[in-house]
Amino acid sequence: MKNKMVKEEYIVKTKDLNLWYGTNHAIIDVNLNMKPNKVTALIGPSGCGKSTLIRCFNRMNDVIPECNVKGQVYYHDKDIYGPSVDAVEIRKKIGMVFQKPNPFPKSIYENIAYGPRVQGINNKKKLDELVEKSLRDAALWDEVKERLSDSAMSLSGGQQQRLCIARSLAIQPEIILMDEPCSALDPIATAKIEDLIGELKKDYTVIIVTHNMQQAARVSDYTAYMYLGKMIEFGKTTKIFENPKEELTENYITGRFG
Amino acid sequence: MSNKKYQSPHFTFLNKYFKENIIKILLLLAAAACIIIIFSILFFLVKETYPLPTDIWSFLSGEKWRPTSANPQFGVLPLVAGTLLVTLGAMLFAVPLSIGSAIFISEIASPRIRSFIKPIIELLAGIPSVVYGFFGLIILVDWIYKGYGVPTGETWLAGSIILGIMAIPTITSVAEDAINAVPRHYKEGSLAMGATKWQTIRKVVLPSALSGITAAIILGIGRAVGETMAVMMICGNSPVIPDPIWNVFSPIRTLTSNLGIEIGEVPFGSGHYHALFGVAVVLLIITLVINISAVYILGKIKEKQMALGKKKKKNWVSNETAYTIKKYTKHALIGFFLIFVYLVTGLLFTAIIVVAAIVLSFVFKKLSEKNIQKISFSIITISIIVVLCILALLLGYILFNGMGSMSWEFLTTSHSSLGRQGGIVTALLGTLYLALGAIAIALPIGVGAAIYLVEYTKEGKVTTIIRSAADLLNGTPSIVFGLFGFAFLVLFLGWGKVLIAGQITLAFMIIPTILRTSEEALKSVPQSIREGSLAVGATRWQTIRRVVLPPASPGIITGSILGIGRAAGETAPIMFIAVTFSAIEPSSFWEPVNALSYHILVLATEIPGQEAKTAAGGAALVLLLLVVGFYIVAILIRNYYSKKMKW
Repeated sequence: MKNKMVKEEYIVKTKDLNLWYGTNHAIIDVNLNMKPNKVTALIGPSGCGKSTLIRCFNRMNDVIPECNVKGQVYYHDKDIYGPSVDAVEIRKKIGMVFQKPNPFPKSIYENIAYGPRVQGINNKKKLDELVEKSLRDAALWDEVKERLSDSAMSLSGGQQQRLCIARSLAIQPEIILMDEPCSALDPIATAKIEDLIGELKKDYTVIIVTHNMQQAARVSDYTAYMYLGKMIEFGKTTKIFENPKEELTENYITGRFG
Repeated sequence: MSNKKYQSPHFTFLNKYFKENIIKILLLLAAAACIIIIFSILFFLVKETYPLPTDIWSFLSGEKWRPTSANPQFGVLPLVAGTLLVTLGAMLFAVPLSIGSAIFISEIASPRIRSFIKPIIELLAGIPSVVYGFFGLIILVDWIYKGYGVPTGETWLAGSIILGIMAIPTITSVAEDAINAVPRHYKEGSLAMGATKWQTIRKVVLPSALSGITAAIILGIGRAVGETMAVMMICGNSPVIPDPIWNVFSPIRTLTSNLGIEIGEVPFGSGHYHALFGVAVVLLIITLVINISAVYILGKIKEKQMALGKKKKKNWVSNETAYTIKKYTKHALIGFFLIFVYLVTGLLFTAIIVVAAIVLSFVFKKLSEKNIQKISFSIITISIIVVLCILALLLGYILFNGMGSMSWEFLTTSHSSLGRQGGIVTALLGTLYLALGAIAIALPIGVGAAIYLVEYTKEGKVTTIIRSAADLLNGTPSIVFGLFGFAFLVLFLGWGKVLIAGQITLAFMIIPTILRTSEEALKSVPQSIREGSLAVGATRWQTIRRVVLPPASPGIITGSILGIGRAAGETAPIMFIAVTFSAIEPSSFWEPVNALSYHILVLATEIPGQEAKTAAGGAALVLLLLVVGFYIVAILIRNYYSKKMKW
């Protein structure tokens, strides 16, 4: 799998992607190509559709009634909105971390083991390994290894979010989607998550929605700027922040509005 | 500005202050009503129990209930056994069907199907119990009699089936609320990890909703234990413990039907009279325990939701132990279930079940998650289809059976020849008088209490106590209200059997419904508009009357209509305090009236002949249309305004 990824230029591509909530046209003609093992940030003012867009990549919008999608999202050149595609299979390969930490009301161990378990892994030894590896990868292992059977609700907000990241790692995805993962966290916890993102891109492709431009500048390789459902500009992060082509982008990143 | 006018603010200020206080006191009284009522019920029941004709121990453990024999015996054990067995039987099929339906409605159905099925299930809850009883008596009892070749179809089995059907809407709607309350982000978290919808339901949604579902089942049990009319009409009413204990074809008598049958004919002050009140106390204690545990569990859930994110208290057992306990409870439950099946059906059948379960678990292990989901969803869909079929069968039967006797004349003339001829006008009017009188009394009290709770107090001990009292009142069996009315209004105050006694008793019964719906309505009015009104110098009461109540009124009206519907359908509480099988229209509050539900009861169970059954069918249709009509109006109002009102 990894070899294949290296050969491919883009791991996720969208083509003329449109999305409606009822009559509200939330995403308009988005075309976007994302490279593997890079961090791509989606930025833009509130309500610009960046969270909606990221939820398209693992078909999380299927959960919302009255949501309509037109256009294509290619994952390894396969349209995930194609007729024979099972959203469940897609989500096993494309993990997601949500805005607010949402651990299940179960123990720390069970939270991580949940994903492997639903995929049929019940071998205790295998699970133990996966739990440990995921927690290590999420830089949480040292903090929780003594109390794996405690409720996940007893963790702090930042720990809960790293637990959620670990949870998504446990299913060994290729891509991790992060929907404003730090918006509910304090600066120290945020710094830890940002460091973690830097580590994660060695093995995974990360797509992150963020409200915070400095964060996008710090963590991402590529940045896409969205405004009112449209993709305004997409390119290398350094370029977007230092020398944007579009006036709208420049206005936003220089803080003139947003 | 004239001098006189200049002085007036001071004057009105005093005036206002005085008025505000009076209003506050009145509202407090309304809020206290629930507590007063529940304590007076307890007081009167216990007071009338004394002196028991036997000692307490032989009363509780006696196996014979023979109150009128030459050597009377008063043992409630067969009645308690009857109540528990008939409830157990009802739950065995009501619980799976209801939970399946709840999962279907909240997780599987598309929004359109949901908006169609939910009100239908709510309608099922609105059908008067005497109509269920009538249906059971004519169709189910006959079916059991013919299908199983037993001497009579009036059995435990018939009672359990009807009670199960009656409990389905209660369990379904509370369980559905619990499932719906599971935060969406839990589901998303699970789906995002590639879990199928069914895995998400089974491993995340159901465990999170577990305590709510438990409370739903307990409330369903409470409903079944407290039901009078339906079981009284179809269970055969022999006060015997089934022999052997799992003989579902044995007739059975429950605590409630015992009261319904005997209280009307018992000589006042006799040993039998006191023993009947003893039975009511036993019934009340059973339902109180059931309801308190449900209230407690639901309260815990709320607490948990509020405290989410806070650090959890240290458990008294370690997590590993808790896990082991959980595992063993599961095994123990399966064990109990198997023993139960073995006792009821014998060895062969049990063996078949065990083998089938093992084979199934093997098959399931081999199946892909997708197929498991398909199978599970099919089972769930079947359960909702079964529920809808039952409803269709019941409504269809009542409709087609009743159509024959329907005519203008039937509605507008009074009956003759013991109800076999003529119409039902006295019953129809009586029902309307009773229901409207009840709402006239209950509405000010219920709404007043709700206003006090929402607008005048902070959340705290007082509100908790009043709300718990309302919940307990809500769960109190209707026959217990009847007994209270009988002891207090009919005998203690010496009113005799009169319309007003029925109205007051029914009012007590529907206060909790009105209180709860009004409270919800008031709470949905945003705080900001109250502040807006207070900021321009309005008093609290002015704010409530002019700003808060108008937008809350659709909700309050909905609650009132539900209350009217419930009052119109009730039989048990009024049958010995306000109604007779009268063919004369009442002319004052101080006369007895006829009522549709009572009319059906008498025609179906006491008057022989096909003509009586036909007339009962007609009356059942009228009552059903009346009550269902009220419910539909209430649901429509609620839906209309819930769409329209968005803050």
